[in-house]
Amino acid sequence: MASNTEMPDFELVSVIVDFGLGSKVIQTAKKYGISGGTVLLGKGTIKNRLLELLAITDVRKEIVLMVSDQDTIRQALEGLDQKFKFSKPNHGIAFTTSVGHVIGARNCHSDQIKEGRGEDSMYHAITAIVEKGNAEYVIEAATEAGSKGGTIINARGSGIHETSKLFSMEIEPEKEIVMILSKKENTDAIVSAIRKKVKIDEPGNGIIFIQDVNKTYGLYE
Amino acid sequence: MKNLCSIKEGCESGNGHLQKPKKNTEGIDLLLNVLVSKLKEVLFAVLPITLIVLILNFTLTPLDTPLIIRFVIGSIFIIIGLSIFLFGVDIGITPIGQSMGSAIAKSNKIWIVVLAGLLLGFFISIAEPDLHILAGQVELVTAGLITKVSIVVVVSIGIGLLISTGLIRIVFNIPLYKLLTVLYLIIFGLALFTSPEFLAISFDASGATTGALTVPFILALAMGVSTLKKDSKASEKDSFGLVAIASAGAIIAVMIMNIISKTDKMSGSLEHATTSSSIIGPFIQKTPIIAFEIVVALLPILLAFLLFQKISLRMSKKAVMKILKGLIFTFIGLVLFLVGVNAGFMDVGTAVGYNIASLDNKAYVIIVAFVLGLVTILAEPAVYVLTHQIEDVTSGYVKRSIVMFSLSIGVGLAVLLSIIRVLIPELQLWHYLLPGYVIAIAMSYFVPKLFVGIAFDSGGVASGPMTATFILAFVQGAAEAIEGANVLVDGFGMIAMVAMTPLIALQVLGLVFKYKSKKEGLVDPADRRVREYGE
Repeated sequence: MASNTEMPDFELVSVIVDFGLGSKVIQTAKKYGISGGTVLLGKGTIKNRLLELLAITDVRKEIVLMVSDQDTIRQALEGLDQKFKFSKPNHGIAFTTSVGHVIGARNCHSDQIKEGRGEDSMYHAITAIVEKGNAEYVIEAATEAGSKGGTIINARGSGIHETSKLFSMEIEPEKEIVMILSKKENTDAIVSAIRKKVKIDEPGNGIIFIQDVNKTYGLYE
Repeated sequence: MKNLCSIKEGCESGNGHLQKPKKNTEGIDLLLNVLVSKLKEVLFAVLPITLIVLILNFTLTPLDTPLIIRFVIGSIFIIIGLSIFLFGVDIGITPIGQSMGSAIAKSNKIWIVVLAGLLLGFFISIAEPDLHILAGQVELVTAGLITKVSIVVVVSIGIGLLISTGLIRIVFNIPLYKLLTVLYLIIFGLALFTSPEFLAISFDASGATTGALTVPFILALAMGVSTLKKDSKASEKDSFGLVAIASAGAIIAVMIMNIISKTDKMSGSLEHATTSSSIIGPFIQKTPIIAFEIVVALLPILLAFLLFQKISLRMSKKAVMKILKGLIFTFIGLVLFLVGVNAGFMDVGTAVGYNIASLDNKAYVIIVAFVLGLVTILAEPAVYVLTHQIEDVTSGYVKRSIVMFSLSIGVGLAVLLSIIRVLIPELQLWHYLLPGYVIAIAMSYFVPKLFVGIAFDSGGVASGPMTATFILAFVQGAAEAIEGANVLVDGFGMIAMVAMTPLIALQVLGLVFKYKSKKEGLVDPADRRVREYGE
């Protein structure tokens, strides 16, 4: 990992667990200082002949995305591993990827987009997590600022402002995740357009994070 | 995501617990994992009702030993059947409905939407076994004035028309609550001219036509159409509501029939199935009948799928095989489930109802009614499909457990109110239905629209095979034991109650969600702007 003494390194941790455990993962992670997380639904596949014969090959999974600084993440992952036993088979997996820049999370301040390390990457992956229904505006703003398109994923999740409970069950409001690949030189324009459009800088309106992308295929110029 | 990880050099350093590829020996583990998790889900659904009945058996109402043994065997049938059925719905019925729904919407021609809705609605409903049972009963009590065939055909036409309407609603963005208001105003107008007995029958028809097979299919169909929408909020809330609209069609159809044929008086009485003392007998006897019914009910769905596959879907051979396997699961599961319910549960329901209502203290029967309603709904197959779809559509924001909880309370109250109506002959069905529906419709104007759809759909979902047999038998058993109660009039109408209370219960849940989801201490201009835009 590249060292940068002035700013903390941010990381995105992705956890894939069985359906129903996503909320518990976020709850546990919050205890270790991660401010919030987003859950999306997925399907895991199984390679097994008997199950294929029975056509039972899809298992519902939940993917949890959380962003924080490296130290917090390390602690949180250790805690999560203790609780969910990722090291045992079929208990889920977790991995982290580094994040260059975070906007909209008050405890993750970073002022400029960090330069990529390693290979010279031409592209950035911009991920915006916003309230359900706002993804359209994100895409709109991004397209105006020169993005070629984007992908919307339905999700749910909770940040620091969303902690209400219903019979001891935490309510996690619906979110939308927008993923946009952009050329490095366009990133600033796109991000600031999104910032303005959905007022990301006001607390509670979502977050954006930017990651370096090493290789892309299929992007149409 | 995984690709990202494999190129980044440092990704393993953080946790170091990436899983190795699975070996073959772990396949068995996985199989067990999958099956056990499904079985757990189903056990949680069926065990409560089994335990409650067993407790009643050892305390308040001792039952005959063969009856109780049959009940236990029935529970096992139900547990196994429900597990297989749910797998079948996941890989068979739901994919069919969704792919058909999106194929219909993608055609982009309004006449295709109308025609497909009409035909699908008509044939699915005409094949629904519950509708045939209800129609048979109506023929019996009207002494043949209204024939079974005419009722089945008229109701099916009604449902076909309304499924068309419902699909058009989704395509043209007509708000559900407005359409429901219009439909229920029509029902209210017709109800003024309908005889009280038929009022009950018509509302029961709505429950009868939305059986264990139709509901998953209609739900998936609506989802298939609405997922194509660009506006994600509209897409989400329009995934629900089609079942509700279809059930309204059944109510309207029966009411119109009554008004036209002017059959006011009900004569005759329902024949009572003689309680068999044999343990295995009923199971063997019921199986072929039910198997045949389910084959007939599955046929239109299968044929429609093959037709669509030929014309527009063109799925890969593998995908088609998977769906066909799913239909076989659905068949086996549903047959086991229904045999369990009919052979094991029905007689016990009647016996428990009769015995408890015979006790001097009437408080017992009221409490037991509430508890039975509470636990029966958990074992209703369509409820699982609905809650599953809710979780999928909302990405888990509205959790299954909380929907189940509200439904439980709603149905518990419905059964309780039905028993009170049996105890107090002066209470008419419309004394419940009128205020109930007025409240439900009024609430739909300020409850989050997603919950309006869910609530009105759950009305049709709650009145499935489990309530229609077990709870109905319980209420009829109780009516038999109470002097002055009419088994016929009081028996009909119970399903209508079970279809109504969830509307209110789930909309209340919607209100709770609305207030709980507000962010603490934050004024949120973007959110408000979007909300205005979205309405």
